[in-house]
Amino acid sequence: MWELLARSLEASTIFLFAALGELINQRAGVLNVGLEGLMLFGGTAAFITAQATGSYPLGFLAGLAIGGLLGLAHGFFSITLRGDQVVSGMGLWILSFGLTTYLGNPHTGPLGLARITNFFGLSPFFVLGVVLVGITWFLLFRTTQGLAIRSVGENPAAAEASGISVTAVRYACVLCGGVLAGLSGAAYTLSYNPVWNYNFLMGWGFVSLALVFFSMWNPWILLAGASLFGIMWQLSLSPELVLPGVLSRYVWRMVPFAITIPILSVISTPWFRRRWGLARPEALGRPYEKS
Amino acid sequence: MRLGRYDVTLEPRTTRPAFYSALTAVGAILLALALASVLFLSAQTPLLDAYRAIFSYAFFNPNGLLATIHRSIYLLLCTYAFLVPLRAGLWNIGLPGQVYAGGIAAFAIPFVFRTQESQTLSLPPVFLILLMVASAAAAGAVVGGFAGVLRARFQVNEILVTMMLNSILFWLVAYMIKEGGPFMSPRGEGESFALPPPLHAPLLWGVPFTAVLALGAAVFLDILFAKTPLGYRIRAFGQNPAAARYGGIIPLALSLFVFLLGGGFAGLAGYHYFAALPGVYKISGNYGYFGDLSFYGIISALIARGSSLGAVPIAVLFAGLSLGARFAQGQLRLPFGVDYALLGLLMMTFVASHVLYQFRVAWRRVPSPTLRPAPTQLPPG
Repeated sequence: MWELLARSLEASTIFLFAALGELINQRAGVLNVGLEGLMLFGGTAAFITAQATGSYPLGFLAGLAIGGLLGLAHGFFSITLRGDQVVSGMGLWILSFGLTTYLGNPHTGPLGLARITNFFGLSPFFVLGVVLVGITWFLLFRTTQGLAIRSVGENPAAAEASGISVTAVRYACVLCGGVLAGLSGAAYTLSYNPVWNYNFLMGWGFVSLALVFFSMWNPWILLAGASLFGIMWQLSLSPELVLPGVLSRYVWRMVPFAITIPILSVISTPWFRRRWGLARPEALGRPYEKS
Repeated sequence: MRLGRYDVTLEPRTTRPAFYSALTAVGAILLALALASVLFLSAQTPLLDAYRAIFSYAFFNPNGLLATIHRSIYLLLCTYAFLVPLRAGLWNIGLPGQVYAGGIAAFAIPFVFRTQESQTLSLPPVFLILLMVASAAAAGAVVGGFAGVLRARFQVNEILVTMMLNSILFWLVAYMIKEGGPFMSPRGEGESFALPPPLHAPLLWGVPFTAVLALGAAVFLDILFAKTPLGYRIRAFGQNPAAARYGGIIPLALSLFVFLLGGGFAGLAGYHYFAALPGVYKISGNYGYFGDLSFYGIISALIARGSSLGAVPIAVLFAGLSLGARFAQGQLRLPFGVDYALLGLLMMTFVASHVLYQFRVAWRRVPSPTLRPAPTQLPPG
């Protein structure tokens, strides 16, 4: 039982890193629907680098760097060029999906390095994830910089008038978001499941994106949501541990996705939005033009 | 940005002539092909030979040409599935899921009527084939329409919903055809039962009749958007949903309609690939590959900028390229996935061309500082 829980918490970490990055992005008003692409590319880069050099730190570094780079690319398109953020995000996702399939294919198979040490089965990344949630919460809600990020996401014109550079804040946030998405991908391919396969994520990134909406843009709720989804995800992978012989394993694989849709619908209802939805950044997805 | 004595800025274009749309489309495709050359550098063959291998297989080899036509039909139907909601400003990323739904629904007909073996066939085959086509389109439409209703009724993000549906239907197909699922082939695991020969789709000159549907839909959709009040409403809603509502357009009905129609096309694409292609006639174990291929439909609709007739040559080109790339990959001993890489590169060049389509680069000469600004402060003393 403890093993299953520890494994679930490690799965939660993958959701958590990516969703935390997206949360910071969205708090600054930038929507990146290509989160899964950033994770795929970061994870693949980390895997290839770690396999080639035999070093975990270098692998993680490569994953973080690629994630940050793609985040900046999304920033350039959506902040500097003021393009449609959905077009750019979808572009990044399909670009990563296509290119990683080609680049990673010769590396299909296990990583072939000693596993990263864990504490009594608990992944060190989960601890890192909780720490990062704390840092993000403190940064967003207890510092001047956090106030700047939130104001840029709510009302960029007012933020600009009060002396904040919208462009600079947004770029910092997309860089941060990209690096965290890269970390998420790297944690997947180097620690959670160190076997490269084409399109290995199969929807983790999109579930992470949905988690950000569930969290009402609050890091602590995000942590709870990611933990729940991690447990659910792990159970859907090995349902025989709880309910042996009930339904096909393929049916269980649908469950996390099938649960996501009703939750998304409930939080999108006018009633929920009036009651709880005030946290949604007002300028989310809208480019800002200095006048 | 300042370059020398010029001020360079991006300004939104006020007019976008059709010629310019075509120019950016061609530019994006050529740039993607140029970037794809990097993939061939690792091969021992000169670059021109690699491209010659791709194009001669896809468009001049009899087998290759037939395969290109089959794939073009599939990609075209996927293109419409994405294009119709896009005209209303909605993103239907659910093509794979709707394709799988169409495949399952098409195979449900012979399964329900217990006609896996041709000798037990009790109903006329033409009737069953029509029923298969209708149920495939209906299943795709239901899966698409579900996302459309959620979008219109609760403003649920359609990208997330359609993506979740993709995963759900992917595993549903796995359940149906693997490990003793209802549609599993009696002979082997991991694929569905084969359609009995009387239920094979009729061929016209070796091409399934779905070709007529695909080409007819191209004309129909362009007329719908250009000439009918409904098409006008869809476009108005896509341009500015708030203004469209004041104009009396009902968002719920419209979102539902575009997703039903789009999903229906994707369902037909599923029927085409799994139940109408000569030599297939089953849901094969690698059905996920066809789901991935449907993303080419997203790119052709985007590059064609919502014109269904404009998408025809693009879809044919992409069908040929993805097939030829697979062929060249085997011949030149390249790593797997040249067709996937091309998909990614096309998406990247599309995003770049989209910027040039929306904005123009404006050069303005900075006035030379011959006249010194008037002093605002008195000189000291």
